[in-house]
Formats: sequence, structure tokens, C-alpha cells
Amino acid sequence: MITDRGEVPKGSAEIFFRKVKFWKGDEAEEAPPVFNVDGVNYIHVKVAGLLFVATTRVNISPSLVLELLQRIARVIKDYLGILNEDSLRKNFVLVYELLDEVIDFGYPQTTSTEVLKSYVFNEPIVVDSARIPPLGPAAMFMQGAKRMPGTAVTKSVVANEPGGRKRDEIFVDIIEKISVTFSSSGYILTSEVDGTIQMKSYLSGNPEIRLALNEDLSIGRSGGNSMYDYKSSAGGGIVILDDCNFHESVHLDNFDLDRTLTLVPPDGEFSVMNYRMTQEFKPPFRINALVEEAGSHKAEVIIKIRADFSTSVTANTVTVQMPVPKYTTRVSFELESGAIGQTTDFKENNKRLEWCLNKIVGGSEHTLRAKLTFSQESHGNLTKEAGPVNMNFTIPMYNASRLQVKYLQIAKKSKTYNPYRWVRYVTQANSYVARL
Amino acid sequence: MSGHDSKYFSTTKKGEIPELKEELNSQYKDKKKDAVKKVIAAMTVGKDVSSLFTDVVNCMQTENLELKKLVYLYLINYAKSQPDLAILAVNTFVKDSQDPNPLIRALAVRTMGCIRVDKITEYLCDPLQRCLKDDDPYVRKTAAICVAKLYDINAELVEDRGFLDTLKDLISDNNPMVVANAVAALAEIQETSTRPIFEITSHTLSKLLTALNECTEWGQVFILDALSRYKAADAREAENIVERVTPRLQHANCAVVLSAVKMILQQMELITSTDVVRNLCKKMAPPLVTLLSAEPEIQYVALRNINLIVQKRPTILAHEIKVFFCKYNDPIYVKMEKLEIMIKLASDRNIDQVLLEFKEYATEVDVDFVRKAVRAIGRCAIKLERAAERCISVLLELIKIKVNYVVQEAIIVIKDIFRRYPNTYESIIATLCESLDTLDEPEAKASMIWIIGEYAERIDNADELLESFLESFPEEPAMVVLNNATVETDNPDLRDRAYIYWRLLSTDPEAAKDVVLAEKPVISDDSNNLDSSLLDELLSNIATLSSVYHKPPEAFVSRAKSASAKPDDDEPPLPILLPSSTGQGLQISAQLVRRDGQVFYSLLFENNSQMLLDGFMIQFNKNTFGLAAAGPLQVPPLQPGSTARILLPMITFQNISPGAPNTLLQVAVKDNQQPVWYFNDKISLHVFFSEDGRMERANFLETWKSLPDSNEVSKDLPAAVIHGVDAAIEHLAAANVFFVAKRRNADKELLYMSAKGPSGVPFLIELTAAVSVPGVKCAVKTPSPELAPLFFDAMETLLK
Repeated sequence: MITDRGEVPKGSAEIFFRKVKFWKGDEAEEAPPVFNVDGVNYIHVKVAGLLFVATTRVNISPSLVLELLQRIARVIKDYLGILNEDSLRKNFVLVYELLDEVIDFGYPQTTSTEVLKSYVFNEPIVVDSARIPPLGPAAMFMQGAKRMPGTAVTKSVVANEPGGRKRDEIFVDIIEKISVTFSSSGYILTSEVDGTIQMKSYLSGNPEIRLALNEDLSIGRSGGNSMYDYKSSAGGGIVILDDCNFHESVHLDNFDLDRTLTLVPPDGEFSVMNYRMTQEFKPPFRINALVEEAGSHKAEVIIKIRADFSTSVTANTVTVQMPVPKYTTRVSFELESGAIGQTTDFKENNKRLEWCLNKIVGGSEHTLRAKLTFSQESHGNLTKEAGPVNMNFTIPMYNASRLQVKYLQIAKKSKTYNPYRWVRYVTQANSYVARL
Repeated sequence: MSGHDSKYFSTTKKGEIPELKEELNSQYKDKKKDAVKKVIAAMTVGKDVSSLFTDVVNCMQTENLELKKLVYLYLINYAKSQPDLAILAVNTFVKDSQDPNPLIRALAVRTMGCIRVDKITEYLCDPLQRCLKDDDPYVRKTAAICVAKLYDINAELVEDRGFLDTLKDLISDNNPMVVANAVAALAEIQETSTRPIFEITSHTLSKLLTALNECTEWGQVFILDALSRYKAADAREAENIVERVTPRLQHANCAVVLSAVKMILQQMELITSTDVVRNLCKKMAPPLVTLLSAEPEIQYVALRNINLIVQKRPTILAHEIKVFFCKYNDPIYVKMEKLEIMIKLASDRNIDQVLLEFKEYATEVDVDFVRKAVRAIGRCAIKLERAAERCISVLLELIKIKVNYVVQEAIIVIKDIFRRYPNTYESIIATLCESLDTLDEPEAKASMIWIIGEYAERIDNADELLESFLESFPEEPAMVVLNNATVETDNPDLRDRAYIYWRLLSTDPEAAKDVVLAEKPVISDDSNNLDSSLLDELLSNIATLSSVYHKPPEAFVSRAKSASAKPDDDEPPLPILLPSSTGQGLQISAQLVRRDGQVFYSLLFENNSQMLLDGFMIQFNKNTFGLAAAGPLQVPPLQPGSTARILLPMITFQNISPGAPNTLLQVAVKDNQQPVWYFNDKISLHVFFSEDGRMERANFLETWKSLPDSNEVSKDLPAAVIHGVDAAIEHLAAANVFFVAKRRNADKELLYMSAKGPSGVPFLIELTAAVSVPGVKCAVKTPSPELAPLFFDAMETLLK
């Protein structure tokens, strides 16, 4: 909790925690990120299961505070390598020192790990990442990608490696979160890609970098004119982004000309570019779901998913969920014969079917059948009381937008200088929903 | 540095402090360093390490930067909690502020500014003066903030020493970081001062716009926010400003984007060319939408702001409604805000798409969200006349799912649709009547009865239907009763209204319609529901907390200049009886109080809704003491975000409820915009204790003897406590419970007291308690022993 001025009463941490834990608001039962108790404004974000809170009594910019809290979390992660309760506890003094440089009297001063390095002297005590189960973004590269060092993303930016000198390397991740809503008849109602080019540099001497994107990349749909909306996807070819923004270190001098970005990457993890696309794209999975009555107290559910991508690509940690009518008491599942690495479950307390698949290879199709037993007669309107089907997945080496990093050039210091470059693509489901 | 810091958090053993003391005074700087770290660790978990203060401060005299910083880290945190001790280090601060190392100079000034003690501020002035003109920008930017800190402690000193002028000079500094901090400090000082301190001229404007391109993202926010106060001279200047600011919309930092949007919106007011305005709207749309790709917390802030923006400039996002469709994994607070915006952007062109979404949301799991989705369909029907029929058919589809809360919510909104479009959709009444028996919420029932009553002449069996409500009538909450009570009620107001209604219905439906139509306020499209002056004020506060709460800053910031003095600030807060969650944004706190020998109902109205509320009326149900309002309730029209405190005079013995005395006070409040609200209050007997309740000893004894023993009741009041005899006597006398005599029995104090209750009933009281030990035995003898339970309640409240 950040209370940089002595204006907030003691015990506000307690007040905050209670308020968030037992939130009962006008409408929702989850505390909004900004709220006021007795004249004190509490602003918080959740990062990696931790709550970062700031308090103020003045009418400040809440987005500034929220951004700042996110950035503080990121700086701490840069320093500690991994962000969790344990690492925070071990590095309390360091975190204190960092905060002291990041904000002064409530004013953010700098959140650049690069800049902070010259003012901060405490050294991180790196927690043993091997002991920590892979979580979050770190985990998504763990499977099926032997070429990549798994611990890389959890490596501290500032700490020296046990072996002595640091390894020169740079990671560029093109991470896309896709949202698709299919109508009951399988049409795409909405589709969206939220993408980010994430960079984490461990390069010594901060060389300049050139990053080239698709040459035919075009930015900006023309207002409400839907001219591009559907035609372009039919024609294939060009990638049209709705909007994008860039990290402040990025020079866009050549961007309009040849779609290259030039930057001197600061230390630490940061987004080179964020982009958004609503141009239609080919969804990686097709979902087919059917609910049918089968007798007075029974119904049958059939869910089919088809992986609509190349056979060389494999999706992992796939889960498919579907709410069933509240009066469902029992569910028996039937998987296709020879199914490996698939589990099913009926979550009784929130009445959901859950189907987990460790892996889905491109081009394959999988089916789940489930028989539901009800405690009462259904209202004859099953499709309204069950569904929608919701899917979660991660697909490494796949990106929905077809935005690409054509090359990554590092200004050469000497002939022998050839640092490791990792350019990785990954697509994750954000809200991937099929209605019944 | 070796080992793990975690060991600093190991449990306190005896002798830890002396051990640390020894280490702090060690010869070896590594040991010292480790010790200071341990001290900081101990401090952060709340251990008292103040006895080590001098030892830590002694470590400060070192050339080792790392150690020095650690000591400062300790000091900065100590300065906030124990300023008196921090003064001990002042000499070192002053010395360090002239250190050759700029890092140390800055540290010294930064830390000194955090010690909020008046005495120290004088020492701070000279170092601050020097540091403001330091060669190193890191020192200057720290000093700039220090001026704001000092102003907060001692504004006069800052003005006398001319720091404000130096600060203004820093706006022209060649380092953007220094400029940004100077702007931030000046803006904050201006915020708390009534005098013009930081006026932005066209000269400063152009300087700041240049600095904007060079400084950090945070500095950009400071500058944009400060510049948003600037009023351009004409349209041309406004266009120039906007042109310089527009590139900020491309920034990855959402705070920068929102502050830029704020600034552009403000300048747009001055721009006359419709082409330019249209073009700007087009440029703002994609970045605004992109904010919704950020973390959910930021999305929430963005949505609250977009809500305001589309009310003022609906065209900006008119074509982007799809991005406001709820995602499966959106947190509930994001979904709720998206719904609001979907309603605002709904148009004849996109309504089919929107309805499809709402219909889907209405079958989701979260009950609050489902209800809001159903209401949203109703609000679209009211907003878009041509789509009303489609909305209704979606509502009917939802009713058929027979999910209880969906049906009830649908009926409530259908009632509103009927009121908006009278005599248009009554063909669906038959379908509505089918779900009659599933209704169990007062508002839904009331709505259904209203519909039946309204269209009684067209429903063959209207009387039968109404009768089905009458069966359950005695147990109904008053809200339903209001609409159909014709028999069995004791409330004269209800009975009268119901009789009129009933007679009209049975004799002359036309006349009934006239009356009902005349009574009800017009239902209008409330989707753009902020009052335009409030909207303008909120828009000028885009990208601040104000725009998230949708309340003007003075409604929640106590430090704001315009903060209106709250009346009766010293009074304890009134208990909340109608929370805004139940009152659709209206919150009522109330309590019976006694002032100058009279009973008042002290009420606090808070309008947290987004519309103006007026025409307040109050009604009390029959109660033991026949409490009723002595006059009409006079509440001024309540703007959104405003409050009103009322003292309503009360009279007693007006409409007494029969039966055993109880404390229940049922209150109904209505206004012109909302349904009638009902809440329960508790009558505390002591408000009736009259000023003439004092009894002479002789009189007391005589009365005591004259009453039969059966009139004596006693009870232990576990929550009551007497902290001192005299204090208790004084405290009770203020509540008209008067002292008669006292004595001591072993370790207990016995107090004899008297009070006079409603209609002059005397209470003779004996209190037995040990001082400062919770638990008071209270015995009372009175001609009306049936009031004893209420009396004990009152005494327990008074002695808490």
C-alpha cells in the first residue's frame, strides 16, 4: 500500500482490506478499482495475485495512479525476476528503496528500470525460481518449445548470474489475446485481437535495435465505414490495425515509410507497441455445441471443437467450460475413444461442465458428450438456461493477426558480437465464446 | 552483501536491540549496512526501534553512498511517523545538502521536506534555496517538489522566502523533468490557495507545450493537467493547442491519453469549424477504444469517463458500439459500466444487435448483471420509440424462461414502458398475468398491480386478479398495499388513497384513468441522465476521480477550496436507514432526537443517483407512541451528489398502534422521481424524557413506596458502563435522567435517578455498577412497567 503523504489515517490498510474482501456495493459484489471511504480514496490493481493499493485525499487522475501501480509491479518484477509474496518479503528493503525513487510526495518520478539503476543500490535476492510453479506469461512458453530457455522470463534484469557475466540476449514476444463471440448458428458476432510486442532486453551497452513489421501493415479503419471490415479478409494479404500506440523510446521516423521501428531498448520489460484489430480473422477454433432434452429429467450435451490451424502448431492448456441449468444434479461424461490427456469435471457449486485438454494438434477435432440429470422438469428452454460455451487456450508459435516481426536488427559493436535473439509468437484466448 | 534479507524478519529474540546497537556501531561498514537493513525490516513490520535512532543516525557520517542511502531510507520513513526524533538529524541534513555528490544533496532535501514539523522548516529554507538553483537537474527536480511539501506545512514561509517565484523560473528550465515537477508543484499549490499563483499565460503555454514532447510520461500528465485550465483566446489558438496535443493520443500510457483527451475536449468548446471538430472526434475514437484493451482496472476508469464523453458528444463513438459488448471474462464492475454505455449508444441503426446482446446477458449467472441487462432493455424501449416493440418482444421471451428474478425485473420495466407509451402495448397484458403468482418482490408486485389497475377496463377479470393479491394482503409490505389496499388497513393515508382508487375503478374507469394519469410523473428517456450543468462540471474534471465517481470534487474532497462547510460536523453521524443500494442512489440516514424540549426527526438525505430528486414527502406508520410529523417535510430539490440535512418536528399520540409497546417506527419517503421507499427505525425511549423529570428525594421515596412491588423490573445491561460517578451523572442529566441520591455498597456504586417519560409517566431508577467495569444493573419502578423493556434499551444506549 502506498501512502506517500502523512494525510491518510492509520489503519487504512485494514479498512481497505476489509472493504475489498466484503464489498457489497450498489450493484456488483466485486469492489471497483477506485472507491472512497470516509474521504480517503483507495485505488488498487491486482497483479500476480497481489494487491497494489494507493491512497489519496485529492482529486487526482485515477488512471495515472493505476498505471503507476502497474508500472511499480513491473519494476519490482524486473528487479526481483519473479513477483510474488515470497520474493517481496525477501526484498523488502530493496522495494522500499525503489518506491522512494519512483515517487516523491505522491508524484511519480520515474518508472524506468534503466533510470532507476543509477539511484538504487540494494541488490535483489533472487528467489529460487525452480521451486516456483510456472505461472502466468512465464508458463506459456514452457511447453512444446524446447528451443527456449524456460527460466529466461523470470530472470532479474539487474542481478548478476551465478556464472559471472551476463548473457547477452533479447526477447521479443508477440503476444495476442483474441476475443471471438460466435452466434448460435456459428457466425462470428464480434472478433478482436489485442496485441502487444513485449520486449525484455539483457543486452549490454544498450545498442540500437531495428524492428521491421509487415510492410503492407495499415493503420486506422476509416470511421464507421465498414469498407475494410469484410472485404480485406476475403482478399487476404494486408493487415489492418484499428489503432496502435508505442513505448516512448520508439522512434517512428521510418514507420510510415517502411514499417520499421527504431529504439534503444531500456533495461527491463516493456511493451514496444500495443495494437488492436477488429478486422476479421480466421478463428483458431470452431466450436459446435448442442443441448437436447432426452426425457423428462434428462438432457444431452454435445460439444465439438475443431482446431482450424496448421498441423505443425499445437495448442496447449485448453479448457472448455459450459454452465448448465441450475437444477442439474448429476452429469456423466463420455469422451471419444482413445482420448489421451483429457479430463472432465462437473463443478457442482457453480453448475459448470469443465473439459480440459492438455494438447490439441492443428487440424484435429474432439468431441465431448455429457448426460445431464435434473432435479425437476426443465422449462423447455434449455438453450437459455445453459451455455454459453467458453474456451481458454494458449497457442505458441501462432498469431491470429498475421502481424509479424520480419527482422530484428541489433547495431553491431564488433564483428564477433552476436547476441541471442528470441522472437516468439503466442496467442491466448481472452473471451472466446460460443452461444447456444 | 551476503545472506538473505529474510532473516531480518525472524522473530524478535530477547536482546535483539542491544545486539543491533552493537552492530550499528561496528567498525566494519558491511556489518553496519546489514544492521541498518535489519532495523528497517523491523520497522516495517511495526517493531519499535526508536531507541536505535541515534545509533542509526551516527552511521550517516559516512562516505559510503550505499550505507548513507540506507540511513536516509530509515529516516524518511521515520520522519513521517516520529518527526520529533528526526529533528535530531537536522544538522546532518543541512551539511549533506552541500555534499559534492548530487545524489546526497537531493536525498537531504527530499528527506527534510518529509519531516512535517514547523520547527524544522526554518532550517530547511537555506538548503532549499540553494538546491532550487543547483547545477544538477536531479537536485533541482527534487527541490521543486520540496517547495510543495513546505507549502503544505507552512504556506506563509514559502511565500515570504520567494520560493514561488523561483519555482516559476524553473518552468523555463532546460531539463524537462525539472519543468514537469515545477508544474506539478505549482498546480498543487494553486489548488489549495485562493490567490492566483500559477496563471498560465500564452508564453508559459508555448514553453510547456514544447516541454511536453521531451519529458517522461508522468511529466506529460502533470503538464497536460495543468494546461487544461488554460482558456484559449480564440478558436485559432484552440486549434493550435489541439494540434500540439493530439500526438499524445498515441501514447502507451493510458493516463497520458486520458489527460490529452480532457485537454482536447476542453479546447473543442472554442473551436467553431465543424470540420475540425468532426475530424477531432474521429481522431479521439480509436485511442479511447484502445483504453479498453488495458487492464480491467484501467478499463473501468476509461468507461466511467467515456460515459460522460458520449453524453456530451454522442457522435464520437456512435459507430463503435461493438467494443462495448461484454466479454465473458470481464470483471463485473466492467460489465456494468459497459451496459450503461451500450444503452447510451443504442440507436435505431444498431438496436437489433444490442438487443441480441442484452438478451444473452439476461441469461447469464450473475443475478445483479442479469437484472441490469433486463432494465437496459426497458431503457432502450423508452429511449427509442421505434424499437419499443422489439424490446417488448425480447422481454416477453425472457419472461417465458420463468426465471423468477428475470420475470420480476421484466414486469417492472414493462410498467415503465406502458407509462411511456400509454395504450400501445396492452395486448401483452394477458401474457404478463400468467406470471402473476411468481411475483414475490414488492416492486414487481406494485408494478403488476399498477398495470392491472391502469388497464382495468380492458381486463375482464381485473377484480379477480387484484383479489389474488388481497389474499396475501395482511403480510404484504406497505409498498404493495399502497396500490390495492381497500380493506383491513389501519393506516388512514393508505386507506383513503386506496378507497378512492377502488371506487373510481369500480364506478368510472375513465375518471380513474384521469386521476392516475394526472398523478404520475412522465417517464422519459433517462439514458442521458446527468443534469447538463453537472455534466459540464464533470467533463471539466475528466481524467480525475471526480469523473469516476460522477460527483463534483467538493462532494468527496475535503481539501478542495470550494468545500462547503458541513453543518453540525461535531454531531455523531446518523445511522443509515435506507442505503443507496436499496434506494436507487437515494440514501437516508435518520434518528429521533430531542432538542429544546421537543422531539425531532433528524434526517440526512444523500442523492447518489444521477438525476435530480425533488418533491420529498414523508409518512410514519402507526406506532406505540403515535409519533407523526408535525408538518410537511421540507427538503430542497437534491442535485446529484448533493445532500440535505433536515430537522423535522414531531408530534406524539397521533396514530397509536395497539398492542404491547414496541420500538418499531416504520417510515415511508417518496419523491417525484422514484418509487416510495420504506424503512424501519427504532424508537429510543429517551427522546421522550422531559426536562421536568427531576424529583426531590422525599418525593422519590414517597413515589417508590406508593407503587406496588410488581411495578419494579430490573435488568442487567451488559454493554453499559459507568466510567466515573460524576461524569455519568452529568452525562445522564444531559439526557434528562436526573440524579437523586447515591451510595456505595462494597465495590459497587448505587445511583438513584428519576426521569419522566411520554405522557408524564415517571421512572424511578436504581443503577448498580462497579466503576469502569462493563455491566450495569438497572432497576426501574414505574406506573407503566410495560415500558420497562424500552426503558432498558434507552438506558443501555445512554450508558454505552
